Amino acid sequence: MKENREDRFTNNLWLSWMGFIIILIVWQIVSATNLVDSSIFPGPISVLKSAIIDVPIRRLIQHIGFSLFRVVAGFIIGAVTGVIFGIISGWYKKIGNILQAPIELIRPIPPIAWIPIAIFWLGLGESSKIFIIFLGAFFPIYTNTLKGMFNINPELLQAGRILGLKGIRLLLKVAFPATFPDIATGIRVGWSYSFGLTVAAELIAADNGLGYMIMHARELGQITVIIYGVIIIGLLNLFTDFLIQQIIIKRKLRWYYITTNV
Amino acid sequence: MRRLIKNKKINLSENIIKIGTVVVIIIVLELLSRVGLLSPYKMPSPTQILIAIREVISVGFPKGVTILLHLKATVLRIIQGYLLAAVIGIPAGLLIGRSYILDRISTPVITFARSVATISLLPLFIAWFGITEISRILLISYGCLWVILTNTIQGVKQIDINYINAGKVLGANKRQMFFKVLLPAALPRIFIGLRVAVGVAFMVIVAVEMIGTVVGLGALIQQSRFYYSIDITVAGMILIGIFGLFLSVILERIERFILPWAFSLEEVER
Repeated sequence: MKENREDRFTNNLWLSWMGFIIILIVWQIVSATNLVDSSIFPGPISVLKSAIIDVPIRRLIQHIGFSLFRVVAGFIIGAVTGVIFGIISGWYKKIGNILQAPIELIRPIPPIAWIPIAIFWLGLGESSKIFIIFLGAFFPIYTNTLKGMFNINPELLQAGRILGLKGIRLLLKVAFPATFPDIATGIRVGWSYSFGLTVAAELIAADNGLGYMIMHARELGQITVIIYGVIIIGLLNLFTDFLIQQIIIKRKLRWYYITTNV
Repeated sequence: MRRLIKNKKINLSENIIKIGTVVVIIIVLELLSRVGLLSPYKMPSPTQILIAIREVISVGFPKGVTILLHLKATVLRIIQGYLLAAVIGIPAGLLIGRSYILDRISTPVITFARSVATISLLPLFIAWFGITEISRILLISYGCLWVILTNTIQGVKQIDINYINAGKVLGANKRQMFFKVLLPAALPRIFIGLRVAVGVAFMVIVAVEMIGTVVGLGALIQQSRFYYSIDITVAGMILIGIFGLFLSVILERIERFILPWAFSLEEVER
């Protein structure tokens, strides 16, 4: 009975869009009727209209480019080091403990709290922002990789040993691939952290990027541009997350999702 | 969902290695500072950090604003924003989780809302409400709301259909159904949302306090940068870390106490 009901709706894609449509209509009505001052609370149409004038497409693409460059740079450094450190920590027990101790010690400090000291160390340029974004990616990817290493099915390792794999080859051929699902989780969490941190870093100290764009618009009192920017930040995050999901989950992890039926 | 096996056999030798590593790092830092290889403008020595922590606790930074005042401001903001999110998120989540149509309609909106980096709303809220407590509290609420909401929805959707049928067979009315069946069955997931939301609130508030405030943990480290007092910055970071750790330990205790059967559940993937 319940399944029948779901079948009836699964094809109705419009239902998924209803939420957005309702919000847009209510938003437009509220601002059109001047229930709230429309200069403070502009409607969707005026947001789109004036934002395109105030922020030319070329300028917008430049801001997006700067932000994306920072996220990608920081994220890749964080992901690579996070995976490597996680694998080493999980595989070699002694070295693992030595690595884990300082990482566990600084992990409770939110990456955002590193902004002041990053500026002390690296100045106001690109490197301090990338450092913060790196931290945002590193910790979730490291901890998830480590978790994956701890939870490897011992039968897999035994099978590997029986088939004659030892040491580094057992690590690379069996243990490392077995942690892929956990690494994938870490990568998705890390990406969303990195993304948020990019915006935060750009709000606090930058002269380009999407975070700067909305902070600057606030100084100029262009509320339409702020709303426009917030929506673009949301869409960009959604789109990149979708891309990552498609790449990782659909391609690399098909075996995992087929076998475990998640 | 794969179940996590908490097989952390923390034995003595492991702990000795870990503590030893930290001690060695501290000693090396101290030595490097003493020898002059580590510039005091880049990294204060451990003893300087200790002195700075004492200063932040007793004298306060800026003068007069002790760590207790910073902590009080931050905690107060977190509590207000968090409660607001919980009061909206849990009932809304229960409602959406029960209705197939509402769930279909709201899923894309919630997904989008979660993708909007909370901190990116700061300029908008400042424009609407000024640099006030309201902006800060609402920002925390926004960050927490979606985590609490999605976990509550998931909690309701995952309820074993047999519980609901049993309730119906036993003749539960709507109110009984809600309070005696739905809420308790969804509670473990709701708690996960509430736990994760505390972390979110903490991250958001530190970021928010770095812009346009002088009181609060985030303000402490940001102000110290303006005064070029790197020892205070590091001291502040350590205090923030300790507070964050304290929060998560407390929450873990509470959860283990209230929901001992559901402790191994993980947060819902977004």
